[in-house]
Amino acid sequence: MLTAEDQMAIEQRLADFLAKSEAQWSALVDKGGNLFAQCGDTGTLDLSILSALAAGSFAATHELAKRLGESEFSALYHEGHGQHILMSALHHECLLVTIFGEKTNIGLVRFYAQQVTITLNELLQQAREKEAISGPLLLDGDFLNDQAAIT
Amino acid sequence: MAFINYSSREIQLKIVYYGAALCGKTTNLVTLHKQITHAQKGELVSLATDADRTLFFDFLSLNTKTLPGFTTRFQLYTVPGQAIYNTTRQLVLKGVDGIVFVVDSHWEKMADNVESFANLQENLIENHLSLVQIPYVLQYNKRDIPNAAPINYLEFTFNNRANRALAFEGVASTGVGVLETLNAAARLLLAKYSKTPNANVTGMAQTNKSVAVPPPEEKPQVQAGNVA
Repeated sequence: MLTAEDQMAIEQRLADFLAKSEAQWSALVDKGGNLFAQCGDTGTLDLSILSALAAGSFAATHELAKRLGESEFSALYHEGHGQHILMSALHHECLLVTIFGEKTNIGLVRFYAQQVTITLNELLQQAREKEAISGPLLLDGDFLNDQAAIT
Repeated sequence: MAFINYSSREIQLKIVYYGAALCGKTTNLVTLHKQITHAQKGELVSLATDADRTLFFDFLSLNTKTLPGFTTRFQLYTVPGQAIYNTTRQLVLKGVDGIVFVVDSHWEKMADNVESFANLQENLIENHLSLVQIPYVLQYNKRDIPNAAPINYLEFTFNNRANRALAFEGVASTGVGVLETLNAAARLLLAKYSKTPNANVTGMAQTNKSVAVPPPEEKPQVQAGNVA
């Protein structure tokens, strides 16, 4: 669960990270493939698909790490011709996914990614603590009838 | 686990289609992608082999305005059915909110179906979950084949529990029962956000097109072991 304040705080950290690292886009994604927050520009890319694939890719890597006797590979880097992706593990089953191009380089992006993961972990911890004490979301209205069906 | 974003007023829910190899999981998603016209849908992504067998997962995202004041984003995944991809199935189940278990109605696929259902329960345990916590519906697929197993046999084998799951007859390749199955799963997930309990969740509203399997009046006399 993310409140508007949590969301704003996370997006602010992501914006700072992009400004410093000169990366193109960055997002907080959970390991189930949900997109929590994002900042930057990916053009017309479908962000749901991007998140699902990133989570899947990281999950596969995590499994590889386990089989090699590592607790986790803390980061995963995919190098392309013009665009690259860095995925960094966060606490609370989350990932930081960053897309960057030729304006910057992996060293710089990784350096700032390591810094921002610390503050993101703190924000995630705070959000988790708030979630633990908040009541469940309950809504009015009959949204379980046939008229509300997916068609 | 469902993710609620109060800033963008969005709820994200993950539904996984599970079942034995070639039971019709991917066909369900392909058909949904064709059938759904009103909900906002994304591209259908398949991570498959050259022979069109699911290697990692298929993925389809649907945005609906079902919940008042919120956009509901259903993320539909399939798992690879082949036995060798068990680790991948465990990974896809991570963060699951609801399950559609697809049963192949071929008699000769019963052992595979039973094994897959048992495998689902094992893999949920790996993810610290169970079918008691995770809402699920059953779809008895391929009902159009000549040697389909009788419904009461399938019900006894896969749905013989204290709390009977919703079950649907389907022919995923032609679209029969596909939307009904998804809507039943969606309602089960959305019910927890409703202030007022709704009978539709436990007994699907019947429509003319509905293919919901009614609860059996009595247990059939079947000698084969069940997995419930």
